Amino acid sequence: MGFSFELAVFGSTIAILIIMGFLLYYFAVDYRRNLLGNGNSELPKKESNAILSKMSRELSFTAFIMDDSKSIGIRYIITSLALFFIAGLAGIGMRLSLWFPNPSFLTPVQYNILLTAHGTLMLYGWAVGGILGLSYYLLPTSIRLRKDSLGVVSSIMYWMFLVGSLFIIFSRSTATWYFYYPLVDQLTASGGGTLSFGSLIGVMLILVATVVSSIIFLKMIFLDRDESIRLSNLPLFAWSIVSTAFLIIASAPVSIIADGFLIYDLINPIFFQAANGTALAYAILFWFWGHPIVYVAVIPAFGLIYELLPRFTGTKIYSYKAGVLSLLLLMVLSGTVWGHHLFNSGLGTVWDLIFSTTSFIVAVPSAMSVFNWIATMWVGRIRITVPTLFIINAIIDFIIGGVSGVMAADVGVNQLIHGTYAITAHFHFILLGLTTGMAFAAIYVLFPTLTGGRNYNIPMAKVHFYLTSIGTWVMSGFWLVGGFAGMPRRVAGYFGIFQTYQDAAAIGGVILGLGYLIFLINFLYSGSRPVETGTGNILEEEVSA
Amino acid sequence: MRKTTPLAIFVIVLLAAGGSFVWFVEQSGGSSATTIAPYNSTQVIVLYANYQGWNYNSSIPNPTLYEKTHVLLEFKVIEQDNLPHTLTINPGSNESASNYIVSVNIPAVTGTIVWVNWSFANPGIYTYWCEVHPETMVGKLVLNSTTSNTTNASVASPLPPEIADIVGYSSSIHSPYALRDANEEVW
Repeated sequence: MGFSFELAVFGSTIAILIIMGFLLYYFAVDYRRNLLGNGNSELPKKESNAILSKMSRELSFTAFIMDDSKSIGIRYIITSLALFFIAGLAGIGMRLSLWFPNPSFLTPVQYNILLTAHGTLMLYGWAVGGILGLSYYLLPTSIRLRKDSLGVVSSIMYWMFLVGSLFIIFSRSTATWYFYYPLVDQLTASGGGTLSFGSLIGVMLILVATVVSSIIFLKMIFLDRDESIRLSNLPLFAWSIVSTAFLIIASAPVSIIADGFLIYDLINPIFFQAANGTALAYAILFWFWGHPIVYVAVIPAFGLIYELLPRFTGTKIYSYKAGVLSLLLLMVLSGTVWGHHLFNSGLGTVWDLIFSTTSFIVAVPSAMSVFNWIATMWVGRIRITVPTLFIINAIIDFIIGGVSGVMAADVGVNQLIHGTYAITAHFHFILLGLTTGMAFAAIYVLFPTLTGGRNYNIPMAKVHFYLTSIGTWVMSGFWLVGGFAGMPRRVAGYFGIFQTYQDAAAIGGVILGLGYLIFLINFLYSGSRPVETGTGNILEEEVSA
Repeated sequence: MRKTTPLAIFVIVLLAAGGSFVWFVEQSGGSSATTIAPYNSTQVIVLYANYQGWNYNSSIPNPTLYEKTHVLLEFKVIEQDNLPHTLTINPGSNESASNYIVSVNIPAVTGTIVWVNWSFANPGIYTYWCEVHPETMVGKLVLNSTTSNTTNASVASPLPPEIADIVGYSSSIHSPYALRDANEEVW
C-alpha cells in the first residue's frame, strides 16, 4: 500500500479537529465569563447555560467554543448554510452539464459524484443541519428553558455532524444518497467510488448526531420548559420539533444499522447477499428511514409557518388544536408510507396497495395544515414583508409538490413516472419552496438578531425571493412535464427529444443560483453597515399560543 | 457582531462551495493504475468461484493466467458453492496504486455470473484472489506487454480439446472484431 492522498486528508482533518478542541476549551471559559458577567458566572453550568441560551445572540465564531443551546444553534446555522452552497453549486453544475443531450463538460462519473454530493449534503447537511440549528436557536426562548444541561453532548454531536459532512465531501462517492447495496460496496471508480465507504461513515456520524440531538430536544421540551408553558399552549414550532424528534428516534437507528451492515459487507459480504438477505432488504431498511427524513425536513418548516404566519397577519393561528393534531398525525402517518419508494421493486401487490393507501391518507394532515394557514390569512390582515412572501410561496409550492406526490402515490401512475424527473420535480417543489424557503424566511426574521442590530437590504431580499421563486417554478415545472413525458432522472445524458425540458430546467437552476448568490451578497452588504436597530426579533420576543 | 464576521462567513462559504466543486470534478483518482488502460481487443476469462480454489473442479485449480497488457480482460466469475466470494486483484510490483485494481463481490447463489472488466497498462505479475478465502482461492496473473509475442507463445495454456471445441478457444492471437463467445477462455 502506497501513500494515499485521500487518507492523508481524512486523517489530518480529524487530527486538526482534535487539536482545535483542546486549544479552544481554554478560550471558552473566558468568553463565557465575559458574556455572563460577574454575578452569573458563579452559577452551576446548566443554569448559566440557560441564561446564555435565552440572550439575544448574534452570529459569531465564538459560538464554536461554547456549549449553550443558542451557540450550538449558531454553529449549525453557519455550517448548514455553507453545506447548502456546496451542494447547490454541485446541483447547478449538473444542470449546466445537461444543457446538451450528450454528456458535455462532466463525464458520467463526475456527474454521479455531483449527484451524490448534492443529494446527500442537501438532505443531511442542509435540511437536517438547518433544522437542528433553528431548533437549538429558537427552542430555548420559545419554551423559556429553565435549565440547559447536556451542552457537552450537544457540542460533541455538532462536531460529529461536521466531521460526517466532511467525510461525505471527501469520499466523492457515486452511490447516490440512498447507497443501494451492490453499488455502494464496489470500491472502484465505475462502482460506488473508491472511497465510497467514507460517505457511509459520514452519514452514520450525522445520523447519530441527529438522533442524540432529537433526544435532547424532547428532554428540553418535556422536562426543562418553564412551568408557565403547559402542553396546551406549547408553541406550534415546539410541537413540530416534538413530532420530528419522535420520527427521527423511531426510524433513523434502522438506517444506522443498515449502514453498519454495508460497512461490514465490505469486509465479509454476508448481510445483503442474495443467499442471506437480499439487496431489497437493504432498500427496505433504508427507506424505513429514507421516507421519514423528508418529513423531518418538512414538519419543522410547517412549525415555522405556524409560528410566523400569526405574527404577519396580526391574528392568532386559526385553529391551534387542528395544528397540533396535524403535526402529530404527520408524525404517526409519515412513518407508514415508506414502501411507496419500492412500488417497482417487488414488494407484492398487497403491500403496494397498503402503502399507496397510507400515502393517500398522509395527505389529510398536510391539507389540514394548509387550510389552517389559508384560514389564518383569510381572517387576518396580511402584512407583506419578505418573510411573508416566502411563507406564501412555501404554501403554494407545498400544494403543487404535495399534489404531484399524491399522484405519484398511485401504483399505476407510479409505474409510469418511477425514476423520471416528475419525482425530482415533486420533491424539489417541497424541499426548495417549503423547507429552504422557510429556512430563509426564518433567517430574514432573525436577521437583526443574528447580525447584532442590522437590517437586511429589502430590495435585494425581494430580488432573492423572486429569483428563487421563479427559478423553482421554471426548473421543477419543466421537470414535472418532462417527467410525465418519460425523461429519466439520475443520468448524465438524455435523449434529444427532452432537450427543451432540460435546457429550461438549466435556466431555472441558474436563476435559483443567482438568487441565493444575491442572498449572500445582501448578507455581506447589510452585515457590514453600522448598527441601526435593536437586536430583537418577532420570532423570539412574544410567545403566542 | 464584528464587522469582519459577515466577510469571513461570505469568504468561507464561497471557498467551501468552489473548493468542493473543484474537488468533486477532479476525479483522476490518484494514480494511473486506478484508471483503465486503453485497449484494442477484448479477452474473456472464465473463473469458477469455489471455496477450495478457483476452478477447483477443473484440471488446473487456481490457474496462472497469461494475458497481455492493453487488452480488455472480461472476467466472467461464476458462483459454484453458495458461499460469499470476491474477485480481487492486487496492484503489481511496478505500480503504486493504493487500491485494488479489481474488487467485486460474487453473490452467494450457485450459478450467479458476475462480469468485471479491466485493462492493464503495465506488464508484471499480479495476484488474483478472494478476500473471504485468501488461503485457498489465490492465483497468479502474468501480464506480458502487447508487443512481445515470443514469451506469450511459450506459455500457451494447456486446454483439453473438448473444452476448446465448446468455447471456441483460439490460441493467444485475438482479432479485435471477434465475437465475445468465440473469444472466451476457460483455464
